[in-house]
Amino acid sequence: METQYRGAVLGGLVCQIFFGIILVAIYRALYAGKPQTIPLGHVTTYVWLQQAFFRMLLSNDPELLDKIRTGAIAYDLCRPLHLYGYYYARILAQKVTGSALRALPMLVFAALLPEGWGLCAPVSVPALLAAIVALILGFFCVSAIENITMGFTMRTLDPRGMQAMLSMLITIFAGNILPLTLFPDSWQRVITLLPYAQLLDAPIRLYTGEYSLGMLPQVLAIQGGWTVILILAGCAFWNRNQRKLIIQGG
Amino acid sequence: MDTLRLYGRSMTMLIKSQLQYPVSFLMQTLAQLVMEGGEMLAVILLIDRFDRLNQWGPGDLYFFFGLMSVSFYLTEIFGRGITGNFPYLVRSGQLDTILLRPRGILTQVLCSAADPRRITCIAVGVVSMVIGSNLSAIAWTPVKVLLLAEAIFCSGWLLMGLFMIEAVMCIHSVKSIEITNAITYGGRSACEYPSDIYPRWLRMMFTVIAPFALVMHVPASMILEKPLFGWPVWAAFLTPLSGAAVFGIMYLLFRKAMKYYRSTGS
Repeated sequence: METQYRGAVLGGLVCQIFFGIILVAIYRALYAGKPQTIPLGHVTTYVWLQQAFFRMLLSNDPELLDKIRTGAIAYDLCRPLHLYGYYYARILAQKVTGSALRALPMLVFAALLPEGWGLCAPVSVPALLAAIVALILGFFCVSAIENITMGFTMRTLDPRGMQAMLSMLITIFAGNILPLTLFPDSWQRVITLLPYAQLLDAPIRLYTGEYSLGMLPQVLAIQGGWTVILILAGCAFWNRNQRKLIIQGG
Repeated sequence: MDTLRLYGRSMTMLIKSQLQYPVSFLMQTLAQLVMEGGEMLAVILLIDRFDRLNQWGPGDLYFFFGLMSVSFYLTEIFGRGITGNFPYLVRSGQLDTILLRPRGILTQVLCSAADPRRITCIAVGVVSMVIGSNLSAIAWTPVKVLLLAEAIFCSGWLLMGLFMIEAVMCIHSVKSIEITNAITYGGRSACEYPSDIYPRWLRMMFTVIAPFALVMHVPASMILEKPLFGWPVWAAFLTPLSGAAVFGIMYLLFRKAMKYYRSTGS
């Protein structure tokens, strides 16, 4: 599906790269005035990895919403499959393909940028592997979060406000607007435990070495724990919604 | 004058129609508040950690951020026809109906949409400007108020001009062109901060091609009494006009493009 609109993907990519360069330029100017304990290279790497996997955080599937509004959801309810599982798989697939297509060219570009602007190499090969494992778990976790957001869309016919608010929470607390490593240190102790930090922040910190390999079991446990909790909560939420669901149309 | 009255009436009708669903409207307005609040939170946290950005202190940075929010979202409320769904008008063929009516094309496009939900974003911008003004202890004079009004007014023209790049391109190509977002939304994100913090090529881009620096940063720095490039007061009054110039150029290109317009059919 994604390869059908090469022009659009390319345009989006150029845009995303431009945003990345602007953010890096701002942090460079800030660092020139007052260097921090976190090296600048870690911050630029953080920015590029966030930009590369932006699609992972973005929710852009209007299909369920349309189905509820038109009443076509009735067909889905007739199918012999688990509704939550069906949409979970759909979201996961969209996120993985959407970000893979954009992330690869972008990371190559970012790695080619001059010193102090681009993507730094991972601290070690095991750290890179750990980050990849954490990223995979992050994909499972973000899909669970989005399915809960979708659960709210079943409740009301105009969920745009609710959706916008929830997706804003993701972009703030996943570190897309401002790297979580630059949040006040006292806040970081709490926000790194939130589910949002498990999506991209944890993998990036493993990549840059902010989290040492010794902390890997703990990081994966938090990620896995949230994923399981959110999937169970989402499932229960959807089951309750399905009983109350009103089929529109006629 | 007649056009202005028409525009005024359209705006009132559009805003009234959106208020017909008060709960939905309220939720979306709140969502906008959270969104812009999140952007401001980033600025607050950055100032908390770094104290200042080159020569600019915390108050200055809040002021620049607020100026961008107010200008950008005022344009979104009143210029939504251009900033929002022009590519959709072309793609769906709705532009044809506009061509039939005995009014200017651009007037009708402008009259076709409004986005009052952005009001909370403007509120965030105003709060940020007030905080900035207090922290930087700006001594307001009539000249400064006039300068601020001119900067906001001309930013509106500049932004509409920049959004028209996409309009002109999509008349030729039918598809909406995402790449122009780099200059519009990218310009917004970048120019929330004074442009002299950027490397030369980015600074040139935001001074010459998309003159946010001339329209916003030169007058704002004059208000803060730290004039950018050391330019005199009369220059600060002159440079925002470049925003209107961008709009003028894009208007001419738009008219030229409309000669090539081919309907997408029914």
